[in-house]
Amino acid sequence: MPAATEQVSRYLQRFNATLTREEGEPAWLRERRERAMERFLTLGIPTTRDEEYKYTDLSALVDGKRRFDAPADSVAPAVPDYALTGGPRTEAGAAPPAFEASGTVEPGVRVFRLAEALRQEPDLIAQHFGAIAPIEDHALSAANTAFFEDAAVVVADPGVTASQPVHLVFGSGSAARNPRVLVVAGRNSALQVVETYVGAGTYWRNAVTEIRAEENARVDHYRASIESPDAYHTGLLQATQERDSHVGTFSLSFGGAVVRNDIRTRLNGSGCECSLDGLYTAGQGQHVDHHTAIDHAMPHCNSHQLYKGVLDGNAKGVFNGKIFVRRDAQKTDAVQSNKNLLLSDEAEVNTKPQLEIDANDVRCTHGATIGQLDATSAFYLRSRGISADQARNILTYAFAADALARIRLEPLREYFEALLLARFAPQED
Amino acid sequence: MLEIRNLHVSVDGQEILRGIDLDVRAGSVHAIMGPNGSGKSTLASVLAGRDGYEITAGTVTYGGRDLLEMDPEIRAREGLFLAFQYPVEVPGVTTMYFLREALNAIRKHRGQDELSAGDFLRLARERSQPLGMDPDMLKRAVNEGFSGGEKKRSEIFQMSMLEPSLGLLDETDSGLDIDALKIVADGVNALRSPERAFVVITHYQRLLDYIVPDYVHVLVAGRIVRSGDKFLALELEKRGFGWIDEFAGQEAAVGV
Repeated sequence: MPAATEQVSRYLQRFNATLTREEGEPAWLRERRERAMERFLTLGIPTTRDEEYKYTDLSALVDGKRRFDAPADSVAPAVPDYALTGGPRTEAGAAPPAFEASGTVEPGVRVFRLAEALRQEPDLIAQHFGAIAPIEDHALSAANTAFFEDAAVVVADPGVTASQPVHLVFGSGSAARNPRVLVVAGRNSALQVVETYVGAGTYWRNAVTEIRAEENARVDHYRASIESPDAYHTGLLQATQERDSHVGTFSLSFGGAVVRNDIRTRLNGSGCECSLDGLYTAGQGQHVDHHTAIDHAMPHCNSHQLYKGVLDGNAKGVFNGKIFVRRDAQKTDAVQSNKNLLLSDEAEVNTKPQLEIDANDVRCTHGATIGQLDATSAFYLRSRGISADQARNILTYAFAADALARIRLEPLREYFEALLLARFAPQED
Repeated sequence: MLEIRNLHVSVDGQEILRGIDLDVRAGSVHAIMGPNGSGKSTLASVLAGRDGYEITAGTVTYGGRDLLEMDPEIRAREGLFLAFQYPVEVPGVTTMYFLREALNAIRKHRGQDELSAGDFLRLARERSQPLGMDPDMLKRAVNEGFSGGEKKRSEIFQMSMLEPSLGLLDETDSGLDIDALKIVADGVNALRSPERAFVVITHYQRLLDYIVPDYVHVLVAGRIVRSGDKFLALELEKRGFGWIDEFAGQEAAVGV
C-alpha cells in the first residue's frame, strides 16, 4: 500500500524532527516518545471498523484529501478570559511561545513549561508525565506523546488550596496541535484548571491532559473547546485518583468539524468522587463524540456523569459512557445520564451506556434521552405572547443551561451562559 | 368582543364541540359549567390556539377579526389570556425572564416601549404582593416545583402582569383550598373592568360565590344546553348536572 507507506514515512520524518528539536530531553522521556511512536505506527489512526470509533470517521486525517494546515480564512475568536480576575492566564503553544506566568503563581501553586518543570521537579515529572495517559492501546494518545512540542505542567503542593483558577489557552498555531497538560494535585490540595482551545482555519488538534489527584485532593477541571468550524479535535483526558480525592471535569464543546473527546478516570483508592460532565452543541456539518470511562477499582467511590447535547442541522452526536466496577469496588455509587435535544429532523445521536459490573453491592444507574423540544412548553410560552422562534430559543437555552449549573467556577459558568443565550435566545428588540 | 358561532371541533376524528354559540361583551363575566368530558377545556384550548384540534365548522371572531386564523402568540398580544388548567413547568427558564419576554412582546405589539429590568421588577412586586406570592418565586424556574395552588396563583399573577382584554380561566379553582380560592378570586376581581371580559370555566359552583358571573352557561356533550344568570349555577349546584340532562335534547338558549 504505497499511500500508507508514504504516510508512515511522513510520520517518521516528523518524529525525527521532533527528536532533533527536543534533544535536550531526559532519556526516560525520549524512551516514552519512542515507545509511543512504535505504538502509533502499529495502531494507526482509528477507523470506523474499530468498535470504539464506529460512528466517528477520522479517515480525513490520513486520506490526504483535506489539508490540515490550510491557512485560516477567518480570524480566531477572541480568547475568553471569563473574567477570571487575578488568575494566571497562560498562552501555551502559541508561536512564539509566550509563557509569562511560569513559576510560582501563588504560594504552593506552580505553572511550568515542560523544560522548566523538568529542571525544578525532575522526579515528579518522571513519575507522572506520560505515565497516566495510556499509549499501548490508544493511538491518539500515542500520537500526542510522540509528537508533542511542549507541555503545560500545573502543580499544587500538598495542603495548598489555590485561590484562583489556572487558565491555559491554546491557539491553533502549529505548536499547539499536540497540546499536552499535566496536572498534579498534591495531598490535601485543591486546584481549578481551565483549558481553552480556540482557533481559525483547518487544523487537527490532538490534545492530551493527564491529571493526578493525590490523597484527599480536589481538582476541578474545565475544558472549553471553541474550535474553528473546519477543525478536527481529538483528545484524551485521563485522570488517576488516590483515596478520598475528588476530580470534576467539565467538557464544553462548541466548535469543530469533527470532535472526539475521551474522558477517563481511574479511582484507585476508596472514598473517591468524580464527576464527568459536559455540554456539546453542534450544527450543520458538525460531528461531536464523547467517550467517557470511569474505572471503579476500589470500594465506596461515587461517580456522577451528566452530558447534554444540542444538535441542529445535520449534526451528529455520539456519547458512549463506560463504567467499570471491579470486584473489590463494593458500595460503588455510579450515576450516568446523557440527554440530547434534536432541533432538526436530520440531526442524529448515537448514545450508549456500557456498564461492566463485577461487584455485587453497588448502585449504578444510567439513562439516555433523545428528544425534541416539548410542544406543550412551547405552546405555553406562545400563549403568553412569545413568538414561536423565541419560544424554541428559550427552551433550547434552558435545556443547555441546565448542564452549565454543574460548573462551580462562577465566571466561567456565566460566560458560557451568556454565550448560549446569545446563540439560542437573543433578546428580541 | 368575542363571538363564537356554531363551533364544531373534533379531536382525532371524534367530535367534542358540537355547535357552540357564545357572545362575550366587554365588561362581562361568563361562567361555563359542565360535567367532565363535556368539552369545557377543549373550548378553552381552541380559543387559545393549541394544536391538535380540528375545527370542522363555525367561526370565532375576536375584536372583529377571525381568531382562528391567528397564531397563539398573536392572540396573546391581541389581549387574550388563558389561565391553564395544568400550568406547564419550564425548567431552566425563570419566571422573571419568561414574563418579561412575554410582556415586552405584547407591549411592542401595542406600540409601547419595552419595560426596563428595573421597571419590570417594580411592576412584578406590585402585582405579586396582593396574591401573597414570595418575590423569590420570580427567580425560580417557571412553575417548577410549585404546588398546585402556587401554580394557579402564578397563572393569575401572569394575567395581572399581561393585562389581557379577555381572560379565559380553565378550571383555575380545581384543587384549591378555600383560602387559595379566595386569593385567586380576589386577583381576578381586581382585574374586572368595563373594558375587560372573563370566561370562567369551572366544574364547581363554589368559585362563582367569589367571582360572581353575569352569565352562566351549561355545557353538556359539546353543546351549551342552558344559559342564565348566576342563579342557574346555584340551581345546578343543588340539583346536579343530571338535572341538565333533561334539557340535553332541546335546542339550547344562546347566552347574551
